[in-house]
Amino acid sequence: MIGLGVLKDFKRALDLAGHRLRGEYDEDEWGFDPELAAALEPLTSFLYDTWWRVTATGTEHVPAEGRALIVANHAGVLPWDAAMMAVALRRGGIDRAPRFLVLDWAFGLPWASVAIRRNGGVPASPYNALRLLRQDHLVMVFPEGAKGVGKPWSERYRLQRFGRGGFVELALRTGAPIIPCAVVGSEEIYPKLGEIPGVARLLGAPYFPVTPTFPLLGPFGTIPLPSRWRIAYGEPIDLRGLGPGAADDRATVLEIAEDVRERIQGMVYDNLIERQGAFR
Amino acid sequence: MSARRVLITGVSGPLGARLAARLSADPGVEHVVGIDTRRPPAPLADRITFVEADLRRGELAAILRVAAPHVVIHHDITQFPEPGRSRGHLHDLNVIGTLQLLAACGEVTGLRQIVVRSSAAIYGSAPDAPAFFTEDLARSATLRTRFQRDVAELERLVDAFARRHPAIVCTALRLQPVIGTALDTPIMNLFRAPVVPTFLGFDPRLQLLLDEDALGALVAAVRVPVRGPVNVAADGTVSLARMLRRLRKRALPIASPVYGPAVRALARAGVVPAVDDDVVSYLRFGRGVDTTRMRAELRFVPACTTVEAIDAVADRLRAERDGHTEAAA
Repeated sequence: MIGLGVLKDFKRALDLAGHRLRGEYDEDEWGFDPELAAALEPLTSFLYDTWWRVTATGTEHVPAEGRALIVANHAGVLPWDAAMMAVALRRGGIDRAPRFLVLDWAFGLPWASVAIRRNGGVPASPYNALRLLRQDHLVMVFPEGAKGVGKPWSERYRLQRFGRGGFVELALRTGAPIIPCAVVGSEEIYPKLGEIPGVARLLGAPYFPVTPTFPLLGPFGTIPLPSRWRIAYGEPIDLRGLGPGAADDRATVLEIAEDVRERIQGMVYDNLIERQGAFR
Repeated sequence: MSARRVLITGVSGPLGARLAARLSADPGVEHVVGIDTRRPPAPLADRITFVEADLRRGELAAILRVAAPHVVIHHDITQFPEPGRSRGHLHDLNVIGTLQLLAACGEVTGLRQIVVRSSAAIYGSAPDAPAFFTEDLARSATLRTRFQRDVAELERLVDAFARRHPAIVCTALRLQPVIGTALDTPIMNLFRAPVVPTFLGFDPRLQLLLDEDALGALVAAVRVPVRGPVNVAADGTVSLARMLRRLRKRALPIASPVYGPAVRALARAGVVPAVDDDVVSYLRFGRGVDTTRMRAELRFVPACTTVEAIDAVADRLRAERDGHTEAAA
């Protein structure tokens, strides 16, 4: 019986490899490859359950269908936070493929650009975000951007300025609800001790981080530290009452952006207290 | 279709003759005049008059006066060298040709529409570009390659003409790269090559257009006059890796710093086809365009998606090859 099962699994794996080699798999127009994302599921599950021991709350606030904009704090250089937020949703019964906006600089990188895109990453441009939301996607944005991931260890869990409030404009224009999300744990995976501006300039990167393991251990330095994580989704903020016209009102946009930022900052502090220790 | 007399430039090119034949088959079209510097490779169908003329010369005004077209389709815009179109002449043909044609068009009474076969190459290819360019984003694109500058310049000329002649509807169709077995473009050469040089670590999203659909869009533009630029592309995008797999082609990944010299060397050795700078950046970063305007205003929907277009061309190429081997045997 067991032998038969193994044979079946083997045959399935062969079929999968065969049809991937013949290019008979689907990609959507954004280059998202659902099959590849599903194949990576064991890795993300391992990181979620064992490596980072994630506790997720509030996933019921995320709609099961229709457009929505998840706004989260950002840390950890590589977009692990987006990956874990997606797993949290899947575990919460929201079986959607969220798309996340990634600093467009990353799309000029070899391999990383391809991996990010196939897993649902999209260059962070308002045009892309608008199109995604109009197609009723679930979109994750990190308005802190490079300032969030590039902040030093001493600044951890202090949310940076939320850009120019572009995400509020998106929500107003498309009528998508904003779902605030706090991620705790991502700040400890790559503790940034310093940076080397010269190398960053050379590579055209926003910054070149120095962590306890990187660049000391080379590629192994990109293995994230096993901190304990909490991911909390908050109550949706519905802006439809203001109408799309409010997107052109700078003062309103900035006010809402600051309000969302404060709400997420509050959620981050609450979850830091709940977590009781980073590597426990 | 109320357009009775249609004039097509570049009628002897790979798609020109087919476009002329399609239009002349339309019951609403009374007469088609085709002009080109080259003689048509095969005799043109009935109701098509061929006039040998060079767009860059002043004789155009006289031809247009006699032909008195209601619609001018400026199809003679060339991205890549082809027989009768050497590399050094492309800029002159594209820009000066458009300039002279528009000057001549200004003196034609009864002219109602000009359709220009422009190119989505105007947007360029960049890693930080929007995934789907809308028509208004052409202004913000950085002009990097020769053809991109040509297209931007000739569209500016058309735009200026449209403002001076509000009664004439000027349409610029920005076509994504057109594929078809009859074509001899660098992309088609890659389809035929044994290996395709790709950028190591990059896998761009490509969006293409089947030649049939390119013709369909040009005919649709004559049927439904739309002002200004309109993106024309098949639905969906395909990553280069997936495209090559569907074509049963092997990729030859080359690291980006040495890509240019390596491909040039391999092309001289005849291993891979030569690729232009537009194609190089397209193969590295790809490009997608938004086709909302095409659907809503031009009311045109391509018959094939990007994947279907690739499969169709792959099937035809395979049939062609099998035919060759049978003939040889």
